[in-house]
Amino acid sequence: MTSKVCVLGAGSTKYGKLNESIIEIALNAAKDAIESAGITPKEIQAGYISNVFGVADKQVHMAPVIMSNLGISHVPGLTIESACGSGSVMFREAFANVAAGFYDCVLALGVEKVTHTGTVHSTTLFSYCSDFFYEGGNGASFPGLFASMARAYMTTHKATEEDLANVAVKNHENGMFNPKAHVHKKITVDDVLKSPVVASPLKLLDCCPFSDGASAVILCSEDFAKKSGKPYMEIIGSGRGASPAAVQGREDITTIPSTVAAARQAYKMAGVAPKDINFAEVHDCFTIAEIIDIEDLGFFPKGKAAHAVRDGATRLNGEIPINPSGGLKSKGHPIGATGVGQVVEVFEQFTGRAGQRAVPKAEIALTHNFGATGASAAVHIFKKVDRK
Amino acid sequence: MVTENTRDKFIEAANRKKILAHRCTTCGHLMLETVLFCEKCSGSKFEHAELEGSGKVVTYTIQAVAPEGFGDAGPYAWVVFDIDNAKLRASGFLPGVAEPKDLPVGAKVRVTGFDQKHGLMLQKSS
Repeated sequence: MTSKVCVLGAGSTKYGKLNESIIEIALNAAKDAIESAGITPKEIQAGYISNVFGVADKQVHMAPVIMSNLGISHVPGLTIESACGSGSVMFREAFANVAAGFYDCVLALGVEKVTHTGTVHSTTLFSYCSDFFYEGGNGASFPGLFASMARAYMTTHKATEEDLANVAVKNHENGMFNPKAHVHKKITVDDVLKSPVVASPLKLLDCCPFSDGASAVILCSEDFAKKSGKPYMEIIGSGRGASPAAVQGREDITTIPSTVAAARQAYKMAGVAPKDINFAEVHDCFTIAEIIDIEDLGFFPKGKAAHAVRDGATRLNGEIPINPSGGLKSKGHPIGATGVGQVVEVFEQFTGRAGQRAVPKAEIALTHNFGATGASAAVHIFKKVDRK
Repeated sequence: MVTENTRDKFIEAANRKKILAHRCTTCGHLMLETVLFCEKCSGSKFEHAELEGSGKVVTYTIQAVAPEGFGDAGPYAWVVFDIDNAKLRASGFLPGVAEPKDLPVGAKVRVTGFDQKHGLMLQKSS
């Protein structure tokens, strides 16, 4: 039997084009999380780090470097890579180790720095996350792979390019209220449709930006959280899933099997249903991804998400707000950090720090993050804890 | 048992306009990749299966912004297609496609070879 695990503190750098080294970016987020938890680094018993392209800033084996710079070089660390899903996959490992009783208090930190390599080289680096022999090697970029999923979805469910654009408009609207978001720019459906084509049917404004940034949280046992006297939330559900690595290997290209499996596990563990979720942070690397995600997570029936988005159901004041942070689309997508950044957003929402993007009366929230075209995914469900 | 250098053999078959797959000798399940155990029946014996290098487009994209190594390729599509007479899909590079109207879903394509720079080469067929 596992014990309860809580998130006690959270912090993020701004997402965007950052000039500091990857280690400095990571440390800034770690410091914020440690201060927010009201602990000292000496209380951290292990460090979990997620990162993909550290090599682009000349640093792999990042965990010991981060631990050393926090003044706790004796604390063991582990660096985890699962493409764009690295953050949530790593968070799951941190969660599992605290749940199993190995540690009472750990740091979970995701970081990425790629913008200095330029758009063309970043696109190439990202393509290495695909099943390269069949995908990147035959000329598909990541926008291209998601474009192929968009075409399949639009063909099957009669969705339109406007339907996809609505996702971008909504997420940019939310991102306006997030001071740490990469892109602060209100856009219209027309702006999206008129932006240059990247990989048809996806256009520039259907795509999230390449971002640098870091996010960090402190996970701990329930006892540790209670004694801290600080606000915290409980992780009530955790699930992992996997899909065939290549798009060609999936029988139905309009769904992501890893999301479906991870969500099923997380809902079961939490003892809640999709209707119980008050808001969700989902993986919207491209507009089509959010449409597919919110069906796979059970918020809308298959083929109906596009209509729901158009009707405003996923806006901040809708029945199920999706990506109040602005999502990957507006907040940004520093791929190693993204999954942790979603947890930071839930923490800020639950602890009254979300400002104008606050979802009123939210008590249960879900995070969903995947790697590549969904080859690996993790879903987590959180419950707000009210201190007596 | 399927031997080593599977990708070299895939490329050699593609240059003869065929697609090399692997068939589980126990249950007949077809896979492109070499695996040690069949994903359906866990059988551990496989044989090469040369499939028709032709099929129908399931989905695709036209890469307006080409990744490194594809900048000189002109307009092209990256295509996922159902291989004819097999319950299996493959992906490839289809040059000369500039507009979605040039490639309706369901269009027929066939393998023309394997290019070291651009991968599995396709062309439209009738």
